[in-house]
Amino acid sequence: MKFNDFLDTYKGDIKEVIIGKEGKSVVIGGENTLPFHYFEGSIPHKPLLALEVWDTIPANWPQHLLSSYDDVIQCPVAWAKKCLNNYKADLVSLYLSSADEEGANPTIIAENVKKIADALPVPLVVYGLGDKDRDVPVLKEVARVCAGEGMLLGPVLKDNYEEIGKAALDYGHSVIAQTPIDINLSKELNVKLSKFFPRERIVIDPLSSALGYGLDYSFSIMERVKQVGVIHADELMKMPIIGNVGRDSWKTKEAKESKEQGIMWESITALTLALAGANLIILSHPESMHLVRKTIG
Amino acid sequence: MILIGENIHILSKVVSVSIKEKKAKPLQELVVRQAEAGVDYIDLNVGPARKDPEVMKWLVEITQEVTDLPLSLDTTNPKAMEAGLAVCKVRPLINSASGKEESRQEMLPLAAKYNCDVIVSVLTDKGIPSDTDSRAEAIMDTIAYANDIGIPNESIWVDPIMFPLCVDQVQIAELLEFIKLLPDIAPGVKSSLGLSNLSNGVPHHLRPILNQIYLVMLQRYNLYSSIVDSFDNTLINLVKGRLPETVNLIYRAMDEDVDLSALSQEERDIVKTVNVLTGKTLFSNSWLEI
Repeated sequence: MKFNDFLDTYKGDIKEVIIGKEGKSVVIGGENTLPFHYFEGSIPHKPLLALEVWDTIPANWPQHLLSSYDDVIQCPVAWAKKCLNNYKADLVSLYLSSADEEGANPTIIAENVKKIADALPVPLVVYGLGDKDRDVPVLKEVARVCAGEGMLLGPVLKDNYEEIGKAALDYGHSVIAQTPIDINLSKELNVKLSKFFPRERIVIDPLSSALGYGLDYSFSIMERVKQVGVIHADELMKMPIIGNVGRDSWKTKEAKESKEQGIMWESITALTLALAGANLIILSHPESMHLVRKTIG
Repeated sequence: MILIGENIHILSKVVSVSIKEKKAKPLQELVVRQAEAGVDYIDLNVGPARKDPEVMKWLVEITQEVTDLPLSLDTTNPKAMEAGLAVCKVRPLINSASGKEESRQEMLPLAAKYNCDVIVSVLTDKGIPSDTDSRAEAIMDTIAYANDIGIPNESIWVDPIMFPLCVDQVQIAELLEFIKLLPDIAPGVKSSLGLSNLSNGVPHHLRPILNQIYLVMLQRYNLYSSIVDSFDNTLINLVKGRLPETVNLIYRAMDEDVDLSALSQEERDIVKTVNVLTGKTLFSNSWLEI
């Protein structure tokens, strides 16, 4: 028996999603095999690791996380640059925490996003609050003000995909389609979204949760999304997957307890989702990111 | 296939009010309409009937005033079950027992005592088994127990317990395998399934096509009986063999990849639905739109 007898080939390939604009872009996805099955197929783009930047000062972060950003926490541009220059993140994901404040002004938020986007050599991932109502005016405005940047924008949910999706379409952005840990709902949203939105500009967010808080479910759903795309070649599930790990990991009491434990908590959550098939992973602590990078090579 | 009409169910407003106020007429009308629709058994679901187990006796009696069909007595309360069994004129069906200890002690013995048929689910104290092997293991144990207390295989109708499609698509296809396997592992036992649970959680107008097509698929694997909506005409026509072309298309879609381009809209919907139920395509509520 030869080694090749044990190998499979698959009929599906994950779509390549280009984030950014000409001269300032990255590609995720494009593999025609399961996660890390380099021996069975081609994985042209390794999972990218992004660090998350907030546009307000995070209120509930423990000191052992904040301390990585002490000198830049007041200024999202400096914070983002530190993630790229000092910590060597592939990308920056901007969390619009300011949208949560009373009287938040979408235009001011969006202009700030534009300022950050302009200052960076890489394209921006932008996450709203995940609130079906409050995200709509903010993300629409971000899409408009940052027209042509080709950002990855989201999350779009079943209740607001039309409005946010339309704006992302008009102004040339990609979107993060998020559903709550349910593969059937994930497909449903992709079906609806892709009626007017190009499939090669959609990234799936199956909504991941942290170790000890439902990571096993997140793993199963993400693994299955990837299998349905690669093994069954389901056109509506061939989008790359994003794992938004940092924010949930650092909400846990375990991560808050100590630096070492927090970094392990975040890293293990991220590695688990990498194994499940995440193409882009967002983390908070630079040391977790380094550990994940070292592990997945 | 033996069809058990599910429309007298405590979760229905009309039914619960009528039972509570002991109003026979609306219930008797439901019985007559179900009988006319062509079902073989009338299911009488009174819920747990904790306060008034005797309600089953009353319900059986008023039902028997208007039909000669056999009855499926549907309650988890052994007292209510026995109150109903004692007055049945035609050999009834106990719906249902399980492998749980309390069911073994209190419900299954009633099937022996009254010499009637009994639906036995794969449920045990360990929970609901989730794949074919564990379903088989669980039911073999319960069947052996039932045999020991004097219930022959021929009186046992095995219910594999189906989760809704939108909860676990994979087990929908696995259930077909289980139904196929059942005569080999337990010769003589019959099978039964609560069909409507399949489409729980699916938008209302999309439920019938799922139920209808899945029942045809199960029928192909010799499912013995199913609890169904008596007023789903198409469903009844399908399993009674009155729509052979539809049945043939369903079988064809089970066996091969059917080219959609040559089909009418209605036929396409059928093939797409079969593909979802066999697990060939991932389910979403938009499965007919793709």
